[in-house]
Amino acid sequence: MKGWMGKVLNVDLGSGAITTTPLDMDMATQFIGGRGLGARLLWDLVGPEVEPFSPDNVLIFAAGPLTATGYQTSNRFSVSTKSPLTGTVLDANSGGWWGMHFKRAGYDAMIVRGRAEKPVYIEIKEDGVTIHDATHLWGRTVSETSEALGQNKNKRSVLCIGPAGENRVLFAAIMNDATRAAARGGPGAVMGSKNLKAIVVEGKTRVEMDDKERFRFVQYESTKMLKANPVTSQAFPEFGTSVVMNIINAIGALPTRNFQQSYFEHADDISGETITEDILIKNTACWACPIACTRLTKTSKGEGEGPEYESAWSFGAACGIHDLEAITNTNYICNDLGMDTISAGSTIACAMELTERGLLDSDLRFGRADLLEQTVEDIGYRRGLGDELAEGSARLAAKYGAPELSMSVKKLEMPAYDPRGMQGQGLLFATSNRGGCHMRGNMLGSEVLGLPKLIDRLQVQGKAGYVILHQHSAAVLDSIVACKFANIAIAEEYFARALTALTGVSYPTGDLIKAGERIWNLERLYNLREGFTRDDDNLPPRLLNEPATGGSEGQVSHLGPMLEEYYRARGWDANGVPKRAKLEDLGLAELALEVV
Amino acid sequence: MVDERVYEMFREIGRDMYVHNLVSSHGGNISVRFGDRIIIKRRGAMLGRLKPHDLIETGLEKNDSGVALASTELIVHRAIYKATPALAVVHAHPRRAISLSLSRDEIIPIDNEGSYLLKKIPVVEVEFASGTPQMANAIADGLRTYKIVMMRGHGSFATGQTLDEAFQWTDALEEVCEIIMYAHAMNEQMIEYRKHSDSYKNW
Repeated sequence: MKGWMGKVLNVDLGSGAITTTPLDMDMATQFIGGRGLGARLLWDLVGPEVEPFSPDNVLIFAAGPLTATGYQTSNRFSVSTKSPLTGTVLDANSGGWWGMHFKRAGYDAMIVRGRAEKPVYIEIKEDGVTIHDATHLWGRTVSETSEALGQNKNKRSVLCIGPAGENRVLFAAIMNDATRAAARGGPGAVMGSKNLKAIVVEGKTRVEMDDKERFRFVQYESTKMLKANPVTSQAFPEFGTSVVMNIINAIGALPTRNFQQSYFEHADDISGETITEDILIKNTACWACPIACTRLTKTSKGEGEGPEYESAWSFGAACGIHDLEAITNTNYICNDLGMDTISAGSTIACAMELTERGLLDSDLRFGRADLLEQTVEDIGYRRGLGDELAEGSARLAAKYGAPELSMSVKKLEMPAYDPRGMQGQGLLFATSNRGGCHMRGNMLGSEVLGLPKLIDRLQVQGKAGYVILHQHSAAVLDSIVACKFANIAIAEEYFARALTALTGVSYPTGDLIKAGERIWNLERLYNLREGFTRDDDNLPPRLLNEPATGGSEGQVSHLGPMLEEYYRARGWDANGVPKRAKLEDLGLAELALEVV
Repeated sequence: MVDERVYEMFREIGRDMYVHNLVSSHGGNISVRFGDRIIIKRRGAMLGRLKPHDLIETGLEKNDSGVALASTELIVHRAIYKATPALAVVHAHPRRAISLSLSRDEIIPIDNEGSYLLKKIPVVEVEFASGTPQMANAIADGLRTYKIVMMRGHGSFATGQTLDEAFQWTDALEEVCEIIMYAHAMNEQMIEYRKHSDSYKNW
């Protein structure tokens, strides 16, 4: 067994049973690991009859073959479940140290079933797995829980939920190593529903390699790529991910005031340059990452991590706020309560517009930086209006009679790119399997940064092909598992060669990308089985009808023709259902019998 | 109907290929994949002087009237798109690379840029090396693992997300071969400056 550890850990919180089963290697070579393996297991384990908060829903924690090998950014893992926010297939992905320790404890994946009678935490070591009482930890924040359980990134990693997960905030995060987050779609709420407060891991077993010399050479060549690329070698380390704030704003693609505009006049106040100048203590990195994009920052209230680009945007431009101190403090609170900052900020922005339009009685208004911190605390603890915001923007906007004001796709709030100024990005959001998301493929490289080459961001014809390629590539990265920021400099070809040298299984680049296509189509089948249709591959009407401002002035999203091209290019029918020939080509025909 | 931006891309890359001596007057061909469609240079059109009507649209899988007008190498382009994630293909006749392909089974750069970008370029060989299924399969198979391959005595096929990316690999290959030829002609002992340079053979 090379690359994979060959074992899956099964924990039933209802019965307390703990077992280990061999990893199905056919499944692993087809779906790789991480997100792909999680989706394949979820297909078998969680059908449409299972509600997200049912004990029958599962949490699948999965490393990938690359995890813990020392290859650049090989620190990540994924969490798969049925999302309580969207009802779709979900995986959320996180870096830090936990994934590395988990795999070195001897496992490729862990399936958590059932619900504990009272709060518990799981402790995983190489010599055994135990379930402990966590009553004393229930109600405690992420930082308190991490400290209480002995978080030490070099020896012992703590993954946990905060009060938001306990209170089933629909966009609650699972946090690890205190500040890393698997957040989108609310996996933390599922963990809370299981009365599972934390999972602690310790592990030292090294991953075996098929051809270590060749693997190290691919790693060496990958280092050259990272060093030579100005985004990974200069921009991200110096300014963090918010280095793109001014760039995106300049082209008129920075969603502002709940996407009412696409240019924010105060963007520079929340940019990477200002963060570095005003609040940065130093940049830090996840395990085995030479990029080091993480921001260790300080405000008058303390120190913490963030804000990253999406958080600076969601509490900033999306809410019409440019008070960096308030944004950063709010980010700290989100981390400590365990919440997705994108959904939190975007839901607040939605509430601000509902209020300004007279549909909601609240003090929230665009620009009210003074209310941010209290509002996210209220969400985490489900106090007052916060209890309604904890349901996400789609449910909030629908409740107050204006569903069109939720800037979400499949009920997942969209991130910090306006589809009117980046046509491909709009198609990407509309078709993302977990809802409005930039981590299921991202057109930032192609449409803005020129990575690998710049294409016209407003062009419509041919965009489907790029979107599909990026979606497959993202599925691969989430499954091997590596950070997408590494992919800014390191092409898929390098990952394919690293995987081949590591596992001994031949993965030509084309075949690896095809594995991404297999994963994408399986996730699509999952959503179809849940009742999702073509109508769900859509964008909020504002983006289709109301012109953008700033550098994209007058533009709207041309989703219709792009979506048609997308379905054709994917080998799907006009309703977005994969055709039999495509499913046979991907080896999914038998699985799909109950759907297609 | 082909978007004006797409035509502009074809015209510029085609012109640059001719200016860079990567093709003769009527040689070479380029294409892009748009979903289940291919846009490819018209058969017999001059890459250096492409007009809007020189861009032919046809199916990736299915034939239509476009195949009567498309490049003779359409079969190869289709095979590449089906076997790889490529969204653009550039086929050229780079003279130095063709020359080197006559005497070796792989071209390994000795210059820094070529080593960085390409590592190794395999040379494949088939009996009928123009527009045949045999050739299409050999090229497509090579491009599953490498971004550019040489057909012995014929020319290069390169893939990319865009035409300019595939063009970059093609132009880089020709530069690689020119430097190899210069170094060879000088007949002096090469001072190896690259760590792990022997490993490029195994790329």
